[in-house]
Amino acid sequence: MHIVCCLKQVPDTADVKIDPETNTLVREGLESILNPYDLVAVEMAVRLKEKHGGRISALCMGPPQAQSVLRQAMSLGADAGILLSDRAFAGADTLATSYTLAQAVLILNRKTPVNLIICGKQAIDGDTAQTGPGLATRLDYTQLTYVTAVESFDPKNKLIRIKRRIEEGQEILEAELPALLTVELESARPRRASLPELIASMRKDIEVWDKKKIEGDANQLGIKGSPTWVRKMGAPPPRTSGPRFEAAKGLREAVDQSLDIIFADGFMAEELGIPTGVHHGKDSRGN
Amino acid sequence: MAKTPAGIEIPEIIPDKCIGCQICISKCPVEAIKLTPDGKAWIDPEICEGCGQCAEVCPVEAVDLDRTERIKAGKRLRDKPFTPVSGQVVSVYIEIRNGKAADVSWELVGKARELADKLEARLAAFVLGSDVEEFCARAGSLGCDEVHLLEHDTLKRYVSSLYGHALSELAHKVQPEILLMGATSHGRDLAGVVATHLKTGLTADCTGLDIEEDSGLLLMTRPTFGGNIMATIFCENHRPQMSTVRPKVFPMPGLNEKKWKLIRHAWRPPESSVPELIAFIEDKSLLGIDITEYPVLIVAGKGACSKDSFPLLEELAGLLGGVVACSRPVVESGLMPYERQVGQTGKTVAPKLYIGVGVSGAIQHRVAIQGAERILAVNNDPDAPIFQVADAGIVGDYAQVLPELISRLKAKVKNHE
Ligand SMILES: Cc1cc2nc3c(=O)[nH]c(=O)nc-3n(C[C@H](O)[C@H](O)[C@H](O)COP(=O)(O)OP(=O)(O)OC[C@H]3O[C@@H](n4cnc5c(N)ncnc54)[C@H](O)[C@@H]3O)c2cc1C
Repeated sequence: MHIVCCLKQVPDTADVKIDPETNTLVREGLESILNPYDLVAVEMAVRLKEKHGGRISALCMGPPQAQSVLRQAMSLGADAGILLSDRAFAGADTLATSYTLAQAVLILNRKTPVNLIICGKQAIDGDTAQTGPGLATRLDYTQLTYVTAVESFDPKNKLIRIKRRIEEGQEILEAELPALLTVELESARPRRASLPELIASMRKDIEVWDKKKIEGDANQLGIKGSPTWVRKMGAPPPRTSGPRFEAAKGLREAVDQSLDIIFADGFMAEELGIPTGVHHGKDSRGN
Repeated sequence: MAKTPAGIEIPEIIPDKCIGCQICISKCPVEAIKLTPDGKAWIDPEICEGCGQCAEVCPVEAVDLDRTERIKAGKRLRDKPFTPVSGQVVSVYIEIRNGKAADVSWELVGKARELADKLEARLAAFVLGSDVEEFCARAGSLGCDEVHLLEHDTLKRYVSSLYGHALSELAHKVQPEILLMGATSHGRDLAGVVATHLKTGLTADCTGLDIEEDSGLLLMTRPTFGGNIMATIFCENHRPQMSTVRPKVFPMPGLNEKKWKLIRHAWRPPESSVPELIAFIEDKSLLGIDITEYPVLIVAGKGACSKDSFPLLEELAGLLGGVVACSRPVVESGLMPYERQVGQTGKTVAPKLYIGVGVSGAIQHRVAIQGAERILAVNNDPDAPIFQVADAGIVGDYAQVLPELISRLKAKVKNHE
């Protein structure tokens, strides 16, 4: 049994800011982390391996420093770490990324057939949730997104049963392997590596694969293979803020004054039956 | 064997075998099969789209069709990029699940009408499923020029690979410049498949769409880096320009009197393994409550997340005709179900009134409340970021503020008796 986990190194988005002068990302002091959803993907793979045996390959496309996330995966139980790194891969959108990952999986598959691919539901920097479906489509693997639990796994009969979340509740699906899962945060609580595991992972080799190794078509890689372009970046439009009233200085006044602002201009007067002198047919958005 | 313009073989009836049962006639989605005077079926090569459903239902194997060729042709057809040729089309995928269309699809029809008018293009809707013709009229009445209907038994339940194949094929036939879908779990799952088949660009979770003046390109604006940054994205050389949009970003359109036409399409599913639905566990806690539907949301944050705060929040919600929603930590604590979560990884909401109680206003929460008309915040920290987006704020402990708020509102609001 062979599981591939696809990992992304991302900036810790809580700290991301735009420089108001230049309108570009402020990169200084930004810490890079393993995408939290992908950490859960690794945990899930390790649990399956503990129960059913087999091998886990961690795959990451990124610059040389992204090898740290592969080491993290190896400290948790991945057997191999492969970094897809080449200048030709840079600037990839999800279409080019899924192409690059698919090429790498096909190469891995030649040596040991890949039965299962686990990706995080989305990456916290882009939040697109597109790479997983793109990869499943390219490889023709059964696509199972928004997975919250693996209910059973039966590599002999090539079956997997999972629970996935949709708007109205949870679906339990049984699907044929090979399959690709994208996992939700709650699907597995990641363990922490012990000190010896951490140290051991530092000594392991990370393979670096370039475009030649993955037999990539130059037109489908990186910026060349990416249909989408960013035209501009900016801070979100500001919302104007109103006054703040301190309850400590008078609870009733604070409540009354804020309610007066909220329900000014007959706002919602009709629905709520608030008596008002003036009647406005339109609301403040003009619709 | 004759071929369709797309290079797909057209089946032929073998007259010696045909017993004139007419099953194929009833099954043909494009009405290409007629009965000849001698009581045999005949396929009109001008109308036939080569889906092969007639061959499947024929009880006596009287339909001559090379299936392997058909499957190969299907794969060739959809796994290729395309350049639109004739007249411009803006299109919207109408998401239907459990016999209900998602509201976001109609919201998108409204927005797409605007985009189509700017481009002087036609607006097309794609309706896929089994027994879903009823939704076409709605699409037409909201401003579509044409509604493309693709019905097949295998599309009864959403399956990524089948819907992905069907919608990709439709896109090939109609060749839209733009294809919009709702950013629901269904829409996001499907969009990734379709964009990969069509080898085109896809921009997820857009909050703004517009047409660039000179180029006529679709400008797609979306929050990125966890909502800290807005990026405007475009897709210059690939078609369709695809985008998913969250529910409630655009308003529901009004009725449009214009004429529309229905176009039926045939389709043959690919040979792929389909996951089996073992069970569906409805989230009981939902019981039909969709927080995006309410005009007033009382949003509980971690600072008002306790057993004794909820009765107060519920009372406040009841008074204003609203419902209680929450921030992510409240879901994590188990006090509220995920479906009530507001935020980047929860729901985007656009109520008339948002009242946040003990919500700090983290960026991942704020991005999802931009559409709220008015915001009132209650928080004991005067520096909480939620105050930066609130029309009015009360600095204080919710345990004190809420009872007072309720009693003052009772005096003000006459409808609560
Ligand atoms: C990738 C990612 C996705 C995320 N998605 C979401 C999402 O979808 N939705 C979401 O909400 N969050 C999301 N978050 C989490 C987000 O960053 C914040 O952690 C979260 O919104 C904080 O919730 P809160 O305001 O309830 O809690 P806190 O930040 O802990 O704030 C509690 C507030 O309550 C106030 N308070 C405390 N006691 C009282 C009292 N007695 N009376 C009045 N006020 C009181 C405090 O002053 C404080 O401001 C996401 C984070 C990440 C990294």
